[in-house]
Amino acid sequence: MPGVDHCLQQAMAIPGAVGASIVDYTTGFPVATTGAAPNSDHEAAAAGTAEVVQAANSRSLFVSAVPHDLLEDLIITTAGGYHLLRLVQTDFDSRLVLYVWLDRLQGNLAVARRRMQKLADDLVAS
Amino acid sequence: MTPSKTAAPTRLLTQVTGERQTGALVVGGHPGGAVYILEGRVIYAESPSAPGVGELLTSSGRLSGRTWQSALDLGTSTARVGRLLVEQGHLTQGELELCVLGAAYDAAYFALAPASAPVEFIGGATHWLGPVVHIDPAAINREVRRRCRMLDEIFPDSRVDTAAVSPVARPPRERVTLTALQWELLVHADGQRTPADLALLLGKAGYATVQELRRLAALGLIELPPAPGDKPEFVRLPRARGTAVDAHRPVMRPDPPVVPVISGGRASLPSGPIAGSGTVAVPVLTSAAPISGAAPVNGGGSGGGPAVAPGSEDPPRQPAAEEITNHGTVYRPPRLARRKPGAKLPKEVAGDPPPVHTGTDEVLLKRIRTALRALR
Repeated sequence: MPGVDHCLQQAMAIPGAVGASIVDYTTGFPVATTGAAPNSDHEAAAAGTAEVVQAANSRSLFVSAVPHDLLEDLIITTAGGYHLLRLVQTDFDSRLVLYVWLDRLQGNLAVARRRMQKLADDLVAS
Repeated sequence: MTPSKTAAPTRLLTQVTGERQTGALVVGGHPGGAVYILEGRVIYAESPSAPGVGELLTSSGRLSGRTWQSALDLGTSTARVGRLLVEQGHLTQGELELCVLGAAYDAAYFALAPASAPVEFIGGATHWLGPVVHIDPAAINREVRRRCRMLDEIFPDSRVDTAAVSPVARPPRERVTLTALQWELLVHADGQRTPADLALLLGKAGYATVQELRRLAALGLIELPPAPGDKPEFVRLPRARGTAVDAHRPVMRPDPPVVPVISGGRASLPSGPIAGSGTVAVPVLTSAAPISGAAPVNGGGSGGGPAVAPGSEDPPRQPAAEEITNHGTVYRPPRLARRKPGAKLPKEVAGDPPPVHTGTDEVLLKRIRTALRALR
């Protein structure tokens, strides 16, 4: 039965993964972390992650253009890496996002996105 | 066990976790709460202002009330409710951990945020949920402080966190954009429910609720509570009602009752009270005051014997209203005026109408419903 730690271990097994965390995006707080974080600060990274998710959720027109069209992923690419955010949908009230930081050279965006989708689903699906 | 004293809850948490103790840090005051510690690591926290794991899981429909209750029945004594739910396949380990983490941080905020509160440490206490997660207490302290700061950055008025929520009747701007949770809060705010009531009712995290309410306050969409009271009121006591009327001892009133009374037979009047000619729109009350000898209502001389109300001849109806007590004294209950069907009792008998509010009642009813479902 995969728990939070197991989920993060699996995330680190994604090719090119440098760091991973699960972030509560209402409060910008890292529920669980592993590996490296930008600037070696998981808490600052989580706060930033939360702002990005909230911006996408509330201040853009991409989300909720159609009813029940929920935000799934956010992908930010930089010259050196990929930052993938995958929303974790739980039945109970929570606002969680799975964050994985990938190395640009070793990481494969498509593979990582598919793996993260499965991880986020497995975390909550019985 | 540390005796209860007023201190900073976060400091005591640092102290007891530094000593790698096991037990519960109980924080008093409003809203108060408890943080459960196992060998120096925080395993759970609860507070009346934050829905617990059970409320989150059942109010969202993730678990039926019955499932939750049976896990409680089975696992409470051995403190392994959480593990049972996973072992029985009702939850995944991931869901349980995320739910417990969320609930624990949420409650920890309410328990630990006060700068000083009566706190005590109960050594050896465990929580029935069992150890599901192990949280670094330093992370909790940091997070609590950060959450306080974040709220003040949104809108620096902590009265919003505790006062009953009432939306403004007219928004102060032409166009309003709301998040889903803000919408839910506004729809369910009825002027009586506090943020804690709303969080419990909707099954949302207490901190997220407070956060959205501060945002709504910043937007000018909810009424700001009136001038800061002396203390936040988390429990609304029922409104004081009029003094109860003792059924067996008629009231001594220095002044005549306010209800228009035409006593049963002024000596000058003919036997029939005026109500007999009742074509008047105003309901005419006949003898609303107790008129028997045992009820000296109009009698000014309280020092003497019971003053007999003038013309206390009883109409022959209601002979059964008299009671003879053991001592043989005749008791006549105060005779009430004849009322129209559906009319209210006279004010001095009925007291104030019961206060009407639904906030907590609804939450209570919901809990009872959950418990009853579990019994089915």
